Amino acid sequence: MLSSEEIIRTVEMLKNENLDVRTVTLGISLRDCASPSADEVCGRVREKVQRHARNLVPTCERVATKYGIPIVNKRLAVTPIASVAESLRGEDFLRVARTLDQAAQEVEVNFIGGYSALVQKGFTRGDRTLLDTIPEVLSSTERVCASVNVASTRAGINMDAVSLMGQAIQETSQRTADRDGFGCAKLVVFANMPEDNPFMAGAYLGYGEPECVINVGVSGPGVVKRELERAVQSGKKLTLGDLSEIIKKTSFRVTRVGELIAREVAREMDVSFGIVDLSLAPTPTVGDSVGEILQCLGLESIGVPGSTAALALLNDAVKKGGAFASSSVGGLSGAFIPVSEDLNISRAVQQGYLTLEKLEAMTAVCSVGLDMIALPGKVDADTIAALLADEMAIGVINHKTTGVRLIPVPGKDVGDKAVFGGLFGEAYILEVRNINRSGNFVRFGGRIPAPLMSLNN
Amino acid sequence: MNDDPRMEWVAITVIGRDRPGIVANVSGVLYRHRSSIEELSQTVIRGQFAMILIASLGEGASVPALKGELRDLSRDLDLDIDLRRLKPEDLIPYQSGETEPFIITARGKDRPGLVYGITELLAERGINITNLGAQVARLGQEPEYIQVFEVDIPKRLDYGLLQEKLHQRGQEMGVSVDLQHKDIFRAINQI
Repeated sequence: MLSSEEIIRTVEMLKNENLDVRTVTLGISLRDCASPSADEVCGRVREKVQRHARNLVPTCERVATKYGIPIVNKRLAVTPIASVAESLRGEDFLRVARTLDQAAQEVEVNFIGGYSALVQKGFTRGDRTLLDTIPEVLSSTERVCASVNVASTRAGINMDAVSLMGQAIQETSQRTADRDGFGCAKLVVFANMPEDNPFMAGAYLGYGEPECVINVGVSGPGVVKRELERAVQSGKKLTLGDLSEIIKKTSFRVTRVGELIAREVAREMDVSFGIVDLSLAPTPTVGDSVGEILQCLGLESIGVPGSTAALALLNDAVKKGGAFASSSVGGLSGAFIPVSEDLNISRAVQQGYLTLEKLEAMTAVCSVGLDMIALPGKVDADTIAALLADEMAIGVINHKTTGVRLIPVPGKDVGDKAVFGGLFGEAYILEVRNINRSGNFVRFGGRIPAPLMSLNN
Repeated sequence: MNDDPRMEWVAITVIGRDRPGIVANVSGVLYRHRSSIEELSQTVIRGQFAMILIASLGEGASVPALKGELRDLSRDLDLDIDLRRLKPEDLIPYQSGETEPFIITARGKDRPGLVYGITELLAERGINITNLGAQVARLGQEPEYIQVFEVDIPKRLDYGLLQEKLHQRGQEMGVSVDLQHKDIFRAINQI
């Protein structure tokens, strides 16, 4: 029998500390929707999404009510559209995107990820078409998310793709200038992209995944922060090792909740359960912040010296706790530092504590990359590409995933604020130093070869 | 266990001031009357000892004789000892149909009517309490009075609605009431 302390701690965790299942993402394979006829593709995609996903939202509501734990987002992830629409032309790619958008609206999910291509080694025709259509798709649809894998430890970095993505980001931002460049918030550029990531905007259904699968993203920076606060306030003498233990145990509990919910949703929908992604994903709500956790660890603000070490501690402890809690851990699984989605991190930018260079260093030890970062609108496409290249290199050399979501904000500069709203929050624009100085490097193009550690057979 | 029709079953309850020797004395009497203790539960609250046990009486055992000796024991040790004869069907646990296990917690200052306030809601809906405990827990600076009800809620009931009703009742009584599925507690706290 559980002790009263354990029971109350559990109740508090669920009630007060913003513990929620951040997303239940249903992956649907669209491989059987491929065809040289656009009508065929769109028809099959729409029918398949409706058939498999129509019970997703009601099932999630039911399970959430039963356990009293909110499932904040219900989403879809599909096979990379570059391969589904491989045989189609540019304007037909747009039709497919609009079909996805419509299908998502019909089943009432808030995002559908998978307008994607994997081009780390080179492009097919379909890949190129997809990349070219990204700006129009992201500015003319609501719920479609796009992602492109431009690098991997095995293949190296496709710098032609990097250059194209630099331009795509700029163009997407221009096309959504009236919304502060919001189109770019639905686009991620990856190195070593995970095939089962349930979070947007980078979710897609990888090639080895089944026909249908449920992947779940938990969260709970608030829970971790509360446990750390409690320990620090208890007056006991604590070391960083002790704090790491606390984070680990808390992550264990949070992951267990996620797995419980995930398995039940999967069972009710008669779909296989894939993984739990135990990322500490913050929201703009006060108390639900990774930045605040770093403050609990003794740093005055995220961005000051020590931030990289502290984040490394946090990221590692989260993974260890989660790995013990579930045998099916996947996706990104670690700590996120999305600048606009975390109120505390956003303020750290405003107050000058946090710079782009420090963020880049921190991406080497956390589980995403340069995420949800608002840039001055004037940054040129080649500089954006060079920033992408830097981030890809960190991922490739360190055998980890790095993802980039940069949002140039047309007409705004350092000191201004981009307002996206909802879970996307608002972001103070980060200074980019040394713009317009990297064009020649980017224009060489070609592939940065795979590093030596890729030869690990 | 319930098969032999000649077996007699009894439930015995013991209440009194707690001190060493109570269980020894009671089980000694049962042993001498060739009774077997099948299941037993005891607790101590504020120095008061309380126990319930189920015993089976073998061949040749006499319930009146057992009753008599227990009465003597109760007088000697100043305990309330009660014996209840059971029919085999009395040993079948309460069946409430298809249910889900939940845990209700009530936290706040103790006051009269707290237990009734919640259990009234449960009884109205045919919800059975399988376990009930109250303790003082020290979580933050202040110690808190906490009641924990383990309940079986029939599947046909609307959990969301019940959650609301419990919240409301809690507010009326000045305590914080929460309803949570038991699986969550297991998942979070057990390796």
